[in-house]
Amino acid sequence: MAITERVEKIRQNYVDTKPHISYERAWIYTKSFQKTEGQPNILRVAQAFNDTCNELSVNIWEGELVVGTSGEYRKCAILTPEFGWLWIDEEIETFPERGQDPYDVTEEQIEFIRKNIFPYWKGRSIEEAFLARTSEATKKIGVDTGFLDTDSKWRNGIGEISADYIDVLLPKGYGGLKAEALAYMEELDEAIPAEKEKIDFYRSMVLIADGMITLGRRYSDKASEMAAEEKDPARRAELEEIADICSRIPEQSPKTFRETVQFVWFVQLGGIIAENPLAWNPGRFDQYMYPYYKADLDAGLIDYDTALELVECLWLKYSEWAWTISKNTASFFAGYTNFENLTVGGTKVDGSDATNDISYMAIQATRECMTHQPTLSCRIHPDCPPEFMEAVTELVSTGCGFPAIHGDRTGYQMLSNLGYEPNDARDWNNCGCVVPHSRKTFEWTSAASISFAAALEFALNRGCSRLSGDQVSLPEKDPKTFESMDEIYEAWKKQFRYLVKQGVISLCTAQQIHKEIGHRPFMSACNEYCMKNGRDLVDGGAKYNIGPVFTGVGLSVTANSFAVIQKLVFEEKKCTLADIIDAIDNNWEGYEELRELALDCPKYGNDIDYVDSIARELADFFYDEVTKYDDIYGNHFVTAFMGISNYLPTGKVLGATPEGRHARDPINEGVSPYTGSDKDTCLSALRSAAKVKHDIHSGGTLLNLRLNHDLVATKRGRANLGAMLQSYFALGGFHVQFNTISNKVLADAQAHPEKYKSLLVRVAGYSAQFVNLSKEMQDSIMARNAHTEF
Amino acid sequence: MGIKGYVMNIQPFSVNDGDGIRTTVFLAGCPLRCSWCSNPEGMTMEEKVNAETGESMVSLMDADEVLAKVQKHRLFYAYSGGGITFSGGEPTMQTEFLDYLSAEIYDRGYSMAIETSGMFDWDRVAHILGRMDLIFMDLKIMDDAKHLKYTGVSNKQILENIARIKSLSTDEQGPEVVIRIPVVGGVNDDEDNIRSSAAYVKEHVPGARMELLPYHNFGTIKYKALDLPYEHPEFRTPGRAEMERLRQIVREEGVEIADYR
Repeated sequence: MAITERVEKIRQNYVDTKPHISYERAWIYTKSFQKTEGQPNILRVAQAFNDTCNELSVNIWEGELVVGTSGEYRKCAILTPEFGWLWIDEEIETFPERGQDPYDVTEEQIEFIRKNIFPYWKGRSIEEAFLARTSEATKKIGVDTGFLDTDSKWRNGIGEISADYIDVLLPKGYGGLKAEALAYMEELDEAIPAEKEKIDFYRSMVLIADGMITLGRRYSDKASEMAAEEKDPARRAELEEIADICSRIPEQSPKTFRETVQFVWFVQLGGIIAENPLAWNPGRFDQYMYPYYKADLDAGLIDYDTALELVECLWLKYSEWAWTISKNTASFFAGYTNFENLTVGGTKVDGSDATNDISYMAIQATRECMTHQPTLSCRIHPDCPPEFMEAVTELVSTGCGFPAIHGDRTGYQMLSNLGYEPNDARDWNNCGCVVPHSRKTFEWTSAASISFAAALEFALNRGCSRLSGDQVSLPEKDPKTFESMDEIYEAWKKQFRYLVKQGVISLCTAQQIHKEIGHRPFMSACNEYCMKNGRDLVDGGAKYNIGPVFTGVGLSVTANSFAVIQKLVFEEKKCTLADIIDAIDNNWEGYEELRELALDCPKYGNDIDYVDSIARELADFFYDEVTKYDDIYGNHFVTAFMGISNYLPTGKVLGATPEGRHARDPINEGVSPYTGSDKDTCLSALRSAAKVKHDIHSGGTLLNLRLNHDLVATKRGRANLGAMLQSYFALGGFHVQFNTISNKVLADAQAHPEKYKSLLVRVAGYSAQFVNLSKEMQDSIMARNAHTEF
Repeated sequence: MGIKGYVMNIQPFSVNDGDGIRTTVFLAGCPLRCSWCSNPEGMTMEEKVNAETGESMVSLMDADEVLAKVQKHRLFYAYSGGGITFSGGEPTMQTEFLDYLSAEIYDRGYSMAIETSGMFDWDRVAHILGRMDLIFMDLKIMDDAKHLKYTGVSNKQILENIARIKSLSTDEQGPEVVIRIPVVGGVNDDEDNIRSSAAYVKEHVPGARMELLPYHNFGTIKYKALDLPYEHPEFRTPGRAEMERLRQIVREEGVEIADYR
């Protein structure tokens, strides 16, 4: 079936409209917090959410079947000043015109926000608390530097939660959750301090549930009003149905597929209003939706096409919400991407194949809507049905960069290594870009970005930034006096340890602040064990409390650099270390011949053990160093190579590097080869990447490759792609994602953005509309090597 | 052990020379001198270097080194149903080398294919062909005089060998056969040639399919690298529609078209 006229209209609006800032939610939160001074923080947060559900404007847009929006605009970007507002105050005028992820905002709005909202939050936000508690030394290396970044954990809502639809939300509804909370409260004694805290928690659950119930009813009322005025009988009937559904949903457990879709969206909307979160994951959509679909199908209430249209309406809902982030954060997470990660495929807990009609429907919806959300992930197990593999590779061949493709077993292994029970590990879903995750979990999955290449720069530049000359890290001796590879490795390790330590300090500080004023009653209500334990997520209520994740950036650049020094200086003695230092100090100017020699050295991504083994050792050191620290809950920190779009900002702050890279050029994301340096076949790129021990990096690993479109243009070609994927997963790889659009098309899109508004491309761990990316981001995508071998 | 041979290239991730993901081993030496040859470095059995870059274009390699290289990608063969393809040059020219390699690979159980000009002594090569899962054999031009003019040899032995392929099949267990025509515009793209070729295949190799590949001039870079002249403006690359028309003629003669794109 082709996309319906309704969906196409909504889609066109999505493609053509710039997101608009809305302060409704921020204003309601501010008023609410003014009223609740002195109360326990968890109740203040829950009350503010409840007030928002009562007061937020209720809008049903043209043609919608799935309703609920976070403000007065269809494409809405909301504000959460309780986390951070300094950056908004500083940047808000630049929102409409900035290069990456602009938002519309009016002068009147800016004036209102400055007059009514920001003054209250002065001194009260998490951002300010973080900055107040953080030492100058830590700030120098870890605040807005590109060497080490943690700001998504103290400037924005946390997110990184997978709602538990299966055990909590769908079977209970918010009415059921409220009843449960009230029942727990009955058993508790306010005179016992520990129980008093639980009573507060359950009171917050009641406020959240009441809020959600009210929100549903207000949409029901709105739909009824609109139906009464609607002239078109077909639309009137739709509005009446919406009114009927929202009179029960999300209070009650849904009964039909359509009710379930609406329920899922209300939950998503609730999370958005609560935190404006990053990585607020719908999780294993095909698993929890299928029973409702099957029941309706058997009862003759629905057919595939009707269900598909509803799913496509939901996809557009996921995409109309725009995450509001700072310029700095936007450079790390480019493309309005909020990482609503939705997983399909894989195995069931019993080990059998989990694919069903909804798995295929999700892939079809992504192909037809070409929206940047949800972030579609597929789990591929060794016995994956060929039809599913064909559906996956067919979507790859459209060039949209979706889906993210994951090895089922590696995901399981990653969670097992964190101590998950086997059945929970088997039920993993994807979070954010490429993080194996669970609906039973509390984890900061994208907590710190740490640059391997920055540590190299500090090691080879006396602890200073090569570009600014500032002493930002630990002092080190004159690099020209290093006498052996061992000495250089030790110097790198010393700097890297320091970066890790500063990251740990920053994140423990941020955790402590969140524990004090960052309660998350809405998200806690979506987590089975918070309710059982009577504790908020920030108080360790979840079944699994996993330490914050450090994601390593610049692995291949750093490994390649070590290989160059080892080969040219110490083995072949073609130059001295001083030559290399001088060359990179001069950004290779005047050292072109030396640069050619450096470029000719073995590069990661070509299945050459000489350099791949260096990459693996660096990755192992990363794991050993990070996991030896515990967070404030006593959980080990976790490693990942997931990448996001962080290879741009982390490259921009670095001088030239020994492997031939120029100053300010991007570094590399995840375990991907350095742009353009994987010159052998893509089989070699996969083999190099698989040499890193993926399963120990439980925060996820990411591999991006570009394939010439011709390779996947035929069914045969796609079957070969499927075989490549299975081979990579058999080697222990976790994730791979492909861009298959030719540079010719991208160049044309750069020149004529108006013709390519809906062109989706793979950035890193996610896809975004190409025209929504800054020029430099576009360039870097075009520079990725396309594998064209035949 | 210790067998060495002249190898032009070992190309992993070949996807158009048989099923799945394959590694193509290009062996040097060829009895033909096709005017349009796109791998001129493979005409003779000797080491060659690129005159411009100094890179090796043909090197003497130990058979076990070749085996190690092709074996590296076994996982990709297993998942894709791919394997190893011998090409050239004319891979049967180095008969002993090919015999050794193919026997070793046969024992390892990987799928094998060969691309041959059909110009070889049947009795010396038949047992090697018997190890193959897929045989691509060229039938460049039906007209013998023209064949001699453009390839330097008569097509008599080639036609005989094509006719002998069916003897490899026992109980339907023999290799699949694809007879290929490299379609060079202005040389062999006439309807007569295509039709009579297809008729010959239909008559002599029951069950064989045919593949028609359009001529390309990518080889010109190699001539430059070898410091050899290549001036053939008379050869045209047939267009898509023309290729389709010729394939239709083959079908009309009752032969199925193979397509590995």
